[in-house]
Amino acid sequence: MPFADKIIKRNNVTILGSGQKTLLLAHGFGCDQNMWRFMLPALTPYYKVLLFDYVGSGKSDISHYDQARYSSLEGYAQDILDICEALDLQDVIFVGNSVSSMTGLIASIQKPKVFHKLIMICPSPCFLNFKPEYIGGFEKVDLEELIDLMDKNYIGWANYLAPLVIGSDNSEKLVGELSGSFCSTDPIVAKAFAKATFFSDYRHLLKDAKHPVKIFQSSHDALASTDVGSYMAQQLPKAELQIVEAEGHCLHMTHPDIINKGLRDYID
Amino acid sequence: MTNQAIGFSNPKPDEFQSGALITNENREIVYANTYFSDELNWTLKKLLGQSSDVLFTISSKIFCESYLMPLLIHEKKCEEMQLTLFDGNGKRVPVIVSAKMDEKSCIYWSFFNASKRDKLYEELIDARKELEAQAKTLKLMASTDELTGLMNRRELNLRAPEVINQAKRYTHNIALLMIDIDHFKKINDAHGHLEGDRVLKALGQKLLKFGRQTDLIARFGGEEFIMLLPDTNTSNAKIFARRLHQLTSGIEVNHAPVTVSIGITMTDGSHSLDDLTNQADGALYEAKKNGRNKTEFYKET
Repeated sequence: MPFADKIIKRNNVTILGSGQKTLLLAHGFGCDQNMWRFMLPALTPYYKVLLFDYVGSGKSDISHYDQARYSSLEGYAQDILDICEALDLQDVIFVGNSVSSMTGLIASIQKPKVFHKLIMICPSPCFLNFKPEYIGGFEKVDLEELIDLMDKNYIGWANYLAPLVIGSDNSEKLVGELSGSFCSTDPIVAKAFAKATFFSDYRHLLKDAKHPVKIFQSSHDALASTDVGSYMAQQLPKAELQIVEAEGHCLHMTHPDIINKGLRDYID
Repeated sequence: MTNQAIGFSNPKPDEFQSGALITNENREIVYANTYFSDELNWTLKKLLGQSSDVLFTISSKIFCESYLMPLLIHEKKCEEMQLTLFDGNGKRVPVIVSAKMDEKSCIYWSFFNASKRDKLYEELIDARKELEAQAKTLKLMASTDELTGLMNRRELNLRAPEVINQAKRYTHNIALLMIDIDHFKKINDAHGHLEGDRVLKALGQKLLKFGRQTDLIARFGGEEFIMLLPDTNTSNAKIFARRLHQLTSGIEVNHAPVTVSIGITMTDGSHSLDDLTNQADGALYEAKKNGRNKTEFYKET
């Protein structure tokens, strides 16, 4: 099988819509490309939109899973670069949720030519606290306990994993709808993704960004505070921060209209 | 028969050795049994009217949001989930949670202390970690040549078929090089086995440094090495071999450069590893016959 076909199958790449500009949407931890479904209707008439699942997530081909490769975000960034190479992409507008903001940043620094702009939805370069200079939001003991809980709730947890929406103010109906498609994953794979996500520290990379970045930050997000957003906007060479008055970590699911408008204003 | 305990003050229906909690549709606590005060050091006053979030650690909250709540909303119940609670003094307590949700979105929670079970889990997790680490070490030992650190023949046999298959699938050529140190026996005889070992190690290091990430580099046995180079044509292989001769001459024994003989065979992926090593071996024999310190390609007869 030629390289391109192999990658398209491996990462379950979906190509939608048409337009001059190409958007590549990258999902966060605990989900797959389905999490973009609320944003798509407003995007596909104007842009070519590419969706994919990281190896180990969604309907990707798990036979390509490699524990060493996917133990750090560089491995996930390589998935992004592989997809761009397979489809011969250039000037991509990359949109990432949560951890994918950082994988996108890693990829864009490695192959600047492929990218044009980066959009980050509820990003965090580092979830750990390094007091006093940086407050990522979590003490090490909390994150270790989180990984522990994944071990201790082994099977059930991975079968019913829902996107990390986190916002008790979001209505039950909305949470129900958002979590409607549980992401049944292999627990070992999901745990490795969680480890790579929650224990990573890529603060040092921010200053090396080669593209303009737009950050959407939620005003009340248990996983990434507005301080984290301000920190990023300060460290990135060229960044724009928009605080969205909302609860939770998945603005593209809870507030797709606001994100779509902000995104279109930024790229058009 | 009706349930006689309800409405009586003795026996007390509140006094179970497990936590019972009811939250309303806003997830505020509207009922907590005496277990919370007797065993978990909470006072009713501190709990009632509060969000159930006050009970959970940060990691448990994440777990609740991404797993327990969606499950409750969709399945109306969840059973046997392990979470961590804070007791009234801020101490972490592992608990097993079962909960159900009624049509008005009230949640009925039950909590069982899981400290002992948690210890068992910890031991299991540690045992698994240790086994994984051991398996990794064993795998490394089984696949690596101890002296040079290169992969051994067994590992080459395991990994070569995939590389050969890929060549066939992506229609490119691969080269197999068999590299043999000239007069190795003389080095051993004249300077001892330690000196022989040093030469083997030095050559192994050079091959590893020179090879690409996708190349398979193995010690095939004795003083013989094999390199399997994917996506390589004949002229690439020639240049590669020439560089190898140069590199090897950087290793010296008694101020004289070490030399190697190299046999090369090419394939489009339609040969087995056995075929290829036999062919390269034949070419290597030619190189030795023609005076050593040479490269010969396998020629089909």
